[in-house]
Amino acid sequence: MKDLFTRRRIVIGAGGAVVLAAAAFEGGRLLRKRYAPSPYDDLLALLNDRDADAQIGEAVLADIDDFDAKSVSASVRERIGKRPLAQVMLEDASDGRLAEASGWVMPETLALLCALAAKAAA
Amino acid sequence: MSAFIDARTVPEGTVLQPDLAIVGGGPVGISLALALANTPLHVVLLESGGMAFDAKTQALYEGSTVGAPYLTLEATRLRYLGGSTNHWGGWCRPMDDIDFEERNWLPHSGWPFGRKEIERYYPHAQSLCEAGPFLYEEAGKWAPSIGPILPLGDGGVTTRWFQFSKMRGSVLPTHFGDRYADDLRRIARLATYLHANVTRLGLDATATRIDELDVATLSGRKFKVKPKKTTVLAMGAIEIARLMLASNDVMPAGVGNAHDLVGRFFADHPIPRNTATLVLFDGKLAPFYQNNTDLHGAIVRAGLFPSEEYRRSHAVMGSSTTIENKTELDELGKAALAATAAALGVDAGNAVAYSLGCGMEITPDPDRRFTLDTERDALGMPKPKLHMRLADTDFAHFRETLKELGRQLLASRTGMLRLNLRDRSEWLDGLDWASHHMGTTRMHVDPRKGVVDANLQVHGVANLFVAGSSVYPTYGAANPTLNLLALALRLADHLKGLHR
Repeated sequence: MKDLFTRRRIVIGAGGAVVLAAAAFEGGRLLRKRYAPSPYDDLLALLNDRDADAQIGEAVLADIDDFDAKSVSASVRERIGKRPLAQVMLEDASDGRLAEASGWVMPETLALLCALAAKAAA
Repeated sequence: MSAFIDARTVPEGTVLQPDLAIVGGGPVGISLALALANTPLHVVLLESGGMAFDAKTQALYEGSTVGAPYLTLEATRLRYLGGSTNHWGGWCRPMDDIDFEERNWLPHSGWPFGRKEIERYYPHAQSLCEAGPFLYEEAGKWAPSIGPILPLGDGGVTTRWFQFSKMRGSVLPTHFGDRYADDLRRIARLATYLHANVTRLGLDATATRIDELDVATLSGRKFKVKPKKTTVLAMGAIEIARLMLASNDVMPAGVGNAHDLVGRFFADHPIPRNTATLVLFDGKLAPFYQNNTDLHGAIVRAGLFPSEEYRRSHAVMGSSTTIENKTELDELGKAALAATAAALGVDAGNAVAYSLGCGMEITPDPDRRFTLDTERDALGMPKPKLHMRLADTDFAHFRETLKELGRQLLASRTGMLRLNLRDRSEWLDGLDWASHHMGTTRMHVDPRKGVVDANLQVHGVANLFVAGSSVYPTYGAANPTLNLLALALRLADHLKGLHR
């Protein structure tokens, strides 16, 4: 009898834990801000704060006359490859690939990512 | 000890006949007189002002400006013994080799000699400025005992050093008049005349020698000085040009102006405000970047300068950038900081932002010039009229240097930079000037390209010399006082050799 009670508690407890975990996962997904899908979501996933970065991107775009998101995303994707973003940033700075966002001097790749975020938000 | 002579007490019609006359009792005139102390030369030093500020004397500096905005001319200098050292900030720094070089991308550039020619005079000039031991770049050796030098990595901008004239505690920088008055009085063969305004350089009939100087006082007294050997003009760049142009009784274009160069190529160091915002990711800044700091017997401050190599390879003018006050970032600035730090993988939780100040070198421009106005001052001298110009390329050069600094901050993961000024109107808004007057009697071996030769003698006028920053053909970004003193001391040696 005692064994049966213990086994029952374990089963119920485990089941409860699974339900709570599932709820937490789904809740988080529901609470997270959802964006309209874009052809460069893989790149935008690299950004820390997509909304704030889109503001930076607006400032970047102000200096670019004909911004073609398709070709920019392709070249940024190629430039980054499978490397960590930090490595690409340092390479940009070392090689003098810079862009300005309302005067802020930034690595070009980061500025273009921000510009893509702005395009996606538009 | 001989007393100074008040020119207002000199009998009308007096003719003084020294061996050598120095016109102007500012730092150059005083240093020249001191340097010639142990020679057999009888010297007269003529200073327009007295021992202290006087509004009527100061008003003799009034003039007008057309074109780009500039400071009122009487506000940028002081007219009494010691000249503009009576209000200088004490900043000292020798010029760089490149400042003397002819650069194929910079029209009108190049001195007739390199820095080596005046290098040996720097220690004496430093001593006259009372700026302590001659450290400058050597200061970097001892700086780490106080705090770290900013890690900027490889690139065009590096930390370099200013030194300061005797700015210790509450003591002001060396005011040459007060500081060296007794030394001047001790020179047996020197007569210093106060309130003595030279109103005319009198050429002889051949127009190849200065025969006499007309001197006037605001009290109406007039007398003459007839130097037997030499006259040295040791005023500031504006007054030298004005006096040479106004002395047009023998040569209609003025003295030394056969090729229409006197008054041209005027320059100063623009000081645009809040040019950039510097953010340091870790917020750590050594005190010598923001404040004058005691270091190894000197008072120093670090600045951020384009290296000579960078200036050559990128064809940019000289500049100095100083880190000023802490500042707050706006929302976009905070976003840029967060995004950049995250992308670089650095922690910016303690980041601090600072405003940057600067001094810029400008390109030589023959049309940035002084002419004579129709209006006259209390002594009957034509007032100076400045035709001011400032090229957009001058701002662009400095912006490029700042951008390089921004690049280095990112590459070294030290911080980042915002360029605050972009359009000409933004640069000109609140633009200040260092009051470093230069270039109106530029030096060149060719009389068609310069007013004075390499020995500072006015081309075509055998006994007339010009000392001071008016002879600079190109200007550098260094504060001029130390450099013009070195040049004056070199001239003193030349005159000693000439009159041995």
